Amino acid sequence: MLIDVRDAVFGYGEREVVRVNALQLRAAQALGIFGPNGAGKTTLVRGLSGLLRPLRGSVQRQAALRIGYLPQYRAIDLNWPMSGLDAALLAISARRRFGWIGSQKRKAREMMERLGVAHLAPKRFATLSGGQQQRILLAGAMASGPQVLILDEPTDGLDVHSREKLLGLLKEFAAAGLAVVMISHEIEDLTCLCDTVARLHPADDPEHPAHVEVITPTMLTLQVTGAAS
Amino acid sequence: MSWNDWIVLIRLFAPSLKTAAALSLAGSMVGLFVLLRGEALMALALPQVVAIGAAIALRYELEGWKSFPPPIAVALAALVYFVLAKRRGIGAWVLPSFYVAGMCLSFLLIANKGQEVSRMQTLFTGIDVAVTDERALVVPPILLLVAIVCAGLWRRWLLIAQAPAAAELAGLNPRRWDALFLLLLTITTLLGTDSLGIVMVLSMLFLPPATVLPWAQRIPIALVVSGILSLIFLAAGFVLSNQMNWPLSQTIGGVGFVALVISHVLAHVLA
Repeated sequence: MLIDVRDAVFGYGEREVVRVNALQLRAAQALGIFGPNGAGKTTLVRGLSGLLRPLRGSVQRQAALRIGYLPQYRAIDLNWPMSGLDAALLAISARRRFGWIGSQKRKAREMMERLGVAHLAPKRFATLSGGQQQRILLAGAMASGPQVLILDEPTDGLDVHSREKLLGLLKEFAAAGLAVVMISHEIEDLTCLCDTVARLHPADDPEHPAHVEVITPTMLTLQVTGAAS
Repeated sequence: MSWNDWIVLIRLFAPSLKTAAALSLAGSMVGLFVLLRGEALMALALPQVVAIGAAIALRYELEGWKSFPPPIAVALAALVYFVLAKRRGIGAWVLPSFYVAGMCLSFLLIANKGQEVSRMQTLFTGIDVAVTDERALVVPPILLLVAIVCAGLWRRWLLIAQAPAAAELAGLNPRRWDALFLLLLTITTLLGTDSLGIVMVLSMLFLPPATVLPWAQRIPIALVVSGILSLIFLAAGFVLSNQMNWPLSQTIGGVGFVALVISHVLAHVLA
């Protein structure tokens, strides 16, 4: 078990945002996070990753758990002059003293090779397509050797081909033992990649926290399509 | 002017030129990240804030090393105020107020004191500034250290700007790194303003990086070219100011701005 959450409430100060009865994350598991805007998806992810302590309850994490984060390509400020390799090295530089890379460039290049974006290493990041940018960022995140990878709307804005390619790669990594936590509004993406979904239900009273229901992607599809019809 | 005349002139202005060269390097390196991080307003406001400290020193007739503490104290107080305001999401509102406060309070503190007012005007315009030998021994090494630290941490600035969540998950505190960057900016503006005046500081902070950025493919190259350009602006400004009998800081600013316009036009035409 990599992360085990029991009867936890996450929030800020006195304000309770999300309540979780039980949620586990294991190696090779792909967990989707689904819910309306403002329901507390980011708060839940911050709680799972340890950036936010629970106000109540417990969160157990495996010792020295390495958690990686895949930034959304749309969140990257393209005014910064950087090459594809510089972008891929972002995640590695986070774990290096003063951000100095040293011999770690090799790891990023190998992962870029594996993901078919090695030829984009010297290109200016801003000139690449969204799909290429996202794959470069994924290569960087994976090169830092995470046990858990957190993704925030990774397919948002991508064309169908790029989306399929990205999800395919994530499936491969998950099959090889990586635990994936993906926030997404896209039910198709969650169904394609995830084996479990944490669905957030906002409380009727805004003073009360949203609660998390752990379901299968099939159940999520039924719930959402059923509600729509 | 003959070569001998230039050598005599350079020897005469050696302390000022040495300090200006160090400010050029520190300013152009820090300035590159100021522009990329969108903190130009902070860079504009800080020298004005430093002027308040300089005015306090003038009012109480503090000379030599005793003139340093007031600008340092005022700059650090402003920095703390800004960091706290930024955490509350109102940093952008505070900075224009700093700018106005600097322009007003610095002169109010020395109102009706003719000689001090004249020295304050010198600080603002950068005209007739002269760096003493003692100051030229202390200030340039500090500014060069700032340049080295700022350039050496370029991947950290990139990470904090682009993927703060990844930084946090790796155990870094983006706020502390933000504060470190602001400290580097404060040291540059503090020492630069106090030694060479506001115009020179702002010219070096903004013009070389803004000239380079439209062409830059990577940050390390942009840093190197920005540093070289700042030294070229300084040299060209020095020569022109002496040939034309123009004030040095304004000449450097003018040269830099012409280069910036040419760079931007060429980048637009060739794009």
